[in-house]
Amino acid sequence: MSGNRTWEQPAPVVAAEEKEPIVAAPWLRRRWVRAWGSSIGATVSALLVGGLLIRAAGGRPLSAYRDLLSGAVGSNYAIGQLLVLAVPLLIIGLGLSLAFRGRVWNIGAEGQLYIGALACGSLAIGLPLHTGWLLMGLGLVAAIIGGAMWGGLVGALRAQWGVNEIITSLLLNYVGIFLFDYVIRVPLRDPAASSLEGKSVPGIAQLPQLPSFYIHVGIFIAAALVPVLAYVMRRTPFGFRVRMLGLNPEAARTAGVATKRLIMNLMVISGGLAGLAGGIQVLGVAFRLDPTISQNYGYTAIIVALLGRLSALGTLFAAIFIAGLTVGGQAMSVTDSLPYSLVSAIEGIFVVFLLIANRFIRA
Amino acid sequence: MDWGSILGIALFRSGLAFAMPTALAAVGETVGERAGVLNLGLEGMMLSGALAGFLGDYWTGSVVVGVLAAVGCGIALAAITATLSVVLKTEQVINGIALVIFAQGMSQFVYEQLFGQGSHAPVVQPLPDIRIPGLGSIPGLGPILFNQNALFYLSLVLSLSVWLLVYRTRFGLTLRAVGEAPAAADAAGLHVDRVRWMALLVCGAMAGLGGMVLSVGDLSLFTADVTAGRGWVAIALVIFGRWNPLFVLGGALLFGLTDALQIQIQATSGGINSSIPYEAFQALPYLLTIVVMVIVTIRSRRDAQPAALGVPFLKEVQD
Repeated sequence: MSGNRTWEQPAPVVAAEEKEPIVAAPWLRRRWVRAWGSSIGATVSALLVGGLLIRAAGGRPLSAYRDLLSGAVGSNYAIGQLLVLAVPLLIIGLGLSLAFRGRVWNIGAEGQLYIGALACGSLAIGLPLHTGWLLMGLGLVAAIIGGAMWGGLVGALRAQWGVNEIITSLLLNYVGIFLFDYVIRVPLRDPAASSLEGKSVPGIAQLPQLPSFYIHVGIFIAAALVPVLAYVMRRTPFGFRVRMLGLNPEAARTAGVATKRLIMNLMVISGGLAGLAGGIQVLGVAFRLDPTISQNYGYTAIIVALLGRLSALGTLFAAIFIAGLTVGGQAMSVTDSLPYSLVSAIEGIFVVFLLIANRFIRA
Repeated sequence: MDWGSILGIALFRSGLAFAMPTALAAVGETVGERAGVLNLGLEGMMLSGALAGFLGDYWTGSVVVGVLAAVGCGIALAAITATLSVVLKTEQVINGIALVIFAQGMSQFVYEQLFGQGSHAPVVQPLPDIRIPGLGSIPGLGPILFNQNALFYLSLVLSLSVWLLVYRTRFGLTLRAVGEAPAAADAAGLHVDRVRWMALLVCGAMAGLGGMVLSVGDLSLFTADVTAGRGWVAIALVIFGRWNPLFVLGGALLFGLTDALQIQIQATSGGINSSIPYEAFQALPYLLTIVVMVIVTIRSRRDAQPAALGVPFLKEVQD
């Protein structure tokens, strides 16, 4: 038995948590009321503290938030920007939700995204194909495989020898990004670009754009993944085994779940989805191997998964909300001349409030 | 490649200097984990400490104020962590990740608010090297160990004294009891959660100071990504050092040397014109940490890990 050698921590004793909630009002006892209530409460609290930060930065909170809102949903262009950003957050967030349900802590999505982008971009640049849809399809498959391998490496180490996946996945982010940097600096550098840029992908491989909304068709891939993941999580034996793994790995193993393979699968799936997000960014947004292809999407997606309470539908709403906060925040920082990092600060505060709020769902 | 010029005294000297931030954080994390609390927010604590210490020094010109600011900031973040992990008893892994995101957002905001995004990054006066009389003139060892700045000595002494704290004091005994068998410790009349609070505060203070040793002691400046994953490396080093502060410190020295070595090789091999891509050298410390962690995890059974690591203590269950 290798139980004592793995990183798995014994799950906290759940029995003590399940005493009757102390709250009096009957409607408050409904789980979904408390679940939604706590998410909303955390959001409101974070926006209040965010208002203080805006004040501290010399802005006027109310008008700043109004600019944020109009920057997020005020025009077709704004909505398009919001949805374009929501695509990678949603795709990565779905994979992380699934993995986190099994208490497999993949925080290496950022690196997996870059590896996926690299695989997809190299293929689209290098393959002498003249059929657009084939090039796109192969590119995205390569992106999934790239991310899945980068994540699978972590999963294999964890499953086989119990190596802490949190640290390996995080450290591999740096390695993956250095690899990306090397490829766009030497073999696939765009000599015509004034700054350091990778080559651009041929026009036929670029994802088609929806005309009036400035958005690429990758949004349909992201949207289609929501019901798929919801089904997998809630209605399949696989999803059930993932939950067993998360609640009590020891019991899951005793009940006959092949926990090692399951851990491996979770890392491969969440890595593959992060890779897919990277591929979509290359073919649909940057159109080249761009060193700034991700603005920390791999980390932001962690917030998305947590805010979405690790459910597929919740992750969808969370991705749209966080994308709106980010896109609107960019507009706000320009209009009200506030520091751009204000949004990162608000998001950071938001996560902490979210955790506190989550505690009260269990009451 | 001229290995003689690479493996010189300068290498070991800067290697030790670069090891100290990680060493402080890793040894601090050891204290926390020995009490049974997994603090994954280390990277965030280091980053905020780096900023707070930098600001304290930048504004007052006094290293002491910088140290106090860095330690205070680390303790404040540790208090948030303790509230989540010890009081509210939420998932410790998520608490840590959340704290890193929080600290990254806040420190970026504070820095940008104060200094803007301009290209002229403010710097502080580099700390003077202090040559310890007598010891400094030992050949070989002297210039490496005893001719460094004040923050280096402070870090070294603090890291070493944690070993004493854990193994030779009453508090250390309490700490280990709480991490190994919280229920028994509770029955013996110890306050499990109070000890865990203390351990986390010590951890935060050391991580915050570690950040400052990096920004003020080693680099004399702050950037938004100054810690570059050192907090995570530090957590890996705790596993590498098998939860013994001395071994953890040794691991940190090894990491610092690798870091100094890769910088040195990059410089001597011609930077961007080198035949081996410099990105490979940059990735080296991270890869080495992973490899070492894999080897240690495979070879050692987990018996060194505190038994109650990551498990919140619920007193109700014991009744």
